[in-house]
Amino acid sequence: MSDTNAPRKGEMFLRAEGITKIYSDGTVALKEASVEIHSHEIIGLLGENGAGKTTLTKILSGLLPPTSGRVVSPAGPVQFANPREALDFGIGMVHQHFALVGTFTAAENVALSYDRPFARTQLAKTVERLEALMEESGLGVPLNVPVEKLAVGEQQRVEILKVLSRDVNLLILDEPTSVLTPLEVDELFNLLRRLKDAGKSIILITHKLKEVQDITNRIIVLRQGEMVGDVKTADATTEQLAQLMVGQAVDEAIDAVELSDQELPVRRERRAVNRSGKSILHVENLTARGNTGDIAVDGVSFDIHGGEIFGIAGVEGNGQTELVESLTGLRVPISGTATINGTNILGIDPRQIYRLGVAHIPEDRWELGLVLPFTLAENAILGVHRWKEFRGPFSVLKWGKINQHVRELMDRFEIRATGPSAPAKSLSGGNQQKLIVGRELAKDPAIIVAAQPTRGLDIGSARYIRQTLVDMREKGRAILLVSADLDEVLAHADRVAIMYEGRFMEVCAPEELDRERVGMLMGGVTVAKETA
Amino acid sequence: MTAQEAQQQSRLLRGIHRTVTGLHPALESLIAAVAGLLVGALLMVIWGFNPWEAYSALIQGAYGGSYEWANTLSWATPLILTALTFSICLRAGMFNIGAEGQMYMGALAAVCIAYFTLPPGLHHLVGLLFAAAAGAIWSLVPAALKLMRGVSEVISTIMFNWIAKWLGLYLALNILVDSMRAEKTVSIPITARLPVLVKGTSLSAGIFVSVAFALVIYFLLWHTATGYELRAAGLNPTAARYGGIRNKRTMFLSFILGGVAAGLAGATIVMGLPPTYAAFGGFPQLLNMGFNGMAVAMVGRNHPIGIIVAAIFFGGLSSGGGWMQILAGVPLEMINVVMGAIVLTMSIPELIRVFPAAKNGIQKALRSMLRKPRSAAGEGSA
Repeated sequence: MSDTNAPRKGEMFLRAEGITKIYSDGTVALKEASVEIHSHEIIGLLGENGAGKTTLTKILSGLLPPTSGRVVSPAGPVQFANPREALDFGIGMVHQHFALVGTFTAAENVALSYDRPFARTQLAKTVERLEALMEESGLGVPLNVPVEKLAVGEQQRVEILKVLSRDVNLLILDEPTSVLTPLEVDELFNLLRRLKDAGKSIILITHKLKEVQDITNRIIVLRQGEMVGDVKTADATTEQLAQLMVGQAVDEAIDAVELSDQELPVRRERRAVNRSGKSILHVENLTARGNTGDIAVDGVSFDIHGGEIFGIAGVEGNGQTELVESLTGLRVPISGTATINGTNILGIDPRQIYRLGVAHIPEDRWELGLVLPFTLAENAILGVHRWKEFRGPFSVLKWGKINQHVRELMDRFEIRATGPSAPAKSLSGGNQQKLIVGRELAKDPAIIVAAQPTRGLDIGSARYIRQTLVDMREKGRAILLVSADLDEVLAHADRVAIMYEGRFMEVCAPEELDRERVGMLMGGVTVAKETA
Repeated sequence: MTAQEAQQQSRLLRGIHRTVTGLHPALESLIAAVAGLLVGALLMVIWGFNPWEAYSALIQGAYGGSYEWANTLSWATPLILTALTFSICLRAGMFNIGAEGQMYMGALAAVCIAYFTLPPGLHHLVGLLFAAAAGAIWSLVPAALKLMRGVSEVISTIMFNWIAKWLGLYLALNILVDSMRAEKTVSIPITARLPVLVKGTSLSAGIFVSVAFALVIYFLLWHTATGYELRAAGLNPTAARYGGIRNKRTMFLSFILGGVAAGLAGATIVMGLPPTYAAFGGFPQLLNMGFNGMAVAMVGRNHPIGIIVAAIFFGGLSSGGGWMQILAGVPLEMINVVMGAIVLTMSIPELIRVFPAAKNGIQKALRSMLRKPRSAAGEGSA
């Protein structure tokens, strides 16, 4: 159904009635959720991780069947067997992880969602259609370049175009801003406003309070699968929303709100920074290639001192990963030097690097940080399994000592698990991350390289891990904090580097940055320092 | 359906789900073995045999007494080792299909000790060492190709099986040949023959070699840092690298250990098989021991202890099969059918793990079977 006449303002487009979803492993993801979606509106779907936001939208867009309840349109109940049926009905979803074929061009990717994608005429028609659509919506994307060569923001625009080209009336976006620069976010929001004015309905999934308040008309708050609020944006205060979102833990939520406020987070007490502390990590002119062979880190130089958190902010994919990998022995850079207390660390084994006092909290905890089928105990010695404490003669492992060590870690880092022999994959994300943090800090490191240490964690775990890093700073350790969460970096780092296309755009104290400037630096715009 | 009802249903579903996909590995193997035997029984009924009679004969022939047990264990001896070849490499993340060829090489290397004399004991040891070294060397070429040139070890080990077979045949019938009997190699001298444990059977002291090797591998994998590295590299090579483990080294090590196991398998056969203690042209006593080892490894869940049990089961099928043929008239090939059905059944849980789609399909099927008569809400959405 793709009517060209814009629907009347405020007309009901879709209604979900009493939706309950229970996954086959028994998780109750949604309890009796009911939502009515009208034309000309942007709905913010707010909630913490695991609140049921994604489940609800997946049910609306036909990716999942509800366990009970139904979805009704003005014409009667609807049921979609798959996303294509939902698309035909006029509901399209842009996922957090894009569903694009990297080697295909934008046009080819869009053509894939049509009925006969490989018909000879289809591609030409698609290009024609996309060009018209780009004109109309103001979305600019190069159509003839393989999408893997496009920036993340552009890839997202391809996804949006893909859905728009199907004449959808309801557009669902799952955490669309998490990968964008502030400038790209503004562009996206402008587009969404235009689409709204054209009569579309939009659902925006997010956990950023500021965003929903900026752009939505209505906010639906989910908590642990229950709908706890459906309010007009104009009527809701930030505190109310935060309270709805997290229930009891209001303090923490308000904390999170403060962090995402327009103003830069003010450090509670400005420590007397002992930047005089001796330089532990010294990096000079480090240049490294990425997996594709392009230069990913382009002549980066910096020092990190004891008792200091050095933050690297920037949109993901600007060389942060390659920089961290170069410093932790996972990637051999092509030139430059890096030393820890004067000893070279480039091009040597991770094991040797750990010996020099490096702890590495990796970006990807499932791929890099843990061997998921291994037990807690087995994971707790990854990287230190050859240390004398755990290994006797003939390389025999001292399981008794290892288990004792794990119990201590579980106590100290509040890792909730049934015991040292529980498989790591049975742990929640937060506990898995605490296990990694615990293991790395148990190395008694001189420097901690923490990449995206709180990504995807609930507020409690994230807070705990941030606090742990701050504690380590107080103990005089050097910390390299790489995070796509700008607020996290600004709130905790003593010095911040903004990384863009492999280079540091600027290195300064967080107080010297305002949000606009950070946004421009992250987007690669060089700005002269304002004269004081 | 209310949320509460749904929750109750989900608890039931969860239980069934756990039963289907999270079975204890040993139980899974047991079910597969029973299913394989049932498939065999079904075929026997179709072809007019009495499965009850046949299986009684099989069990009698395999485990009916000490003589039967001895024969079963003698079949199990090389199977334990070739299964270990496959499992060690799989634990390290490599598919070593080359046990068969490595075993031939081990067997022929063991034959070489016929050309010199040593005191007993030492002679045995040298024979085993020769075989182990030959198996390891034969496995090193595919390993090196994999590590240096990225050649798939599956392809190269299979190719090396054929090379080993024809090269071995040439060596056996031209170089190591018995000058009196052109169809076999020289015989292992008495000073190096593995003693027969039960008179009148072919059970030799080789069983001690295989069981000891299995125990050593168990200890290595779960109680040493080296084995820990090997398993970590197999389960998640990226995380292993992060943990300072040199993956290439662990892969190499797994191939060496695998080759040693396969070589020893060859040695236990030629050094422990009365009456000739020699390899024959066409390798009748060795044939398929390497491939059957993979089935044993699968049923044994790639665990050394599981492998010992599984090898005794498969050994029983092989040694009891003859009795089944004699007493119930069921052709010996039925044993292969049973083995094949077991391997197929075994791969179902693996399939579920590998292809989540299969899991979803099974869950969906279960759910539709369990669905209660539709409630009002259910009808509305239909």
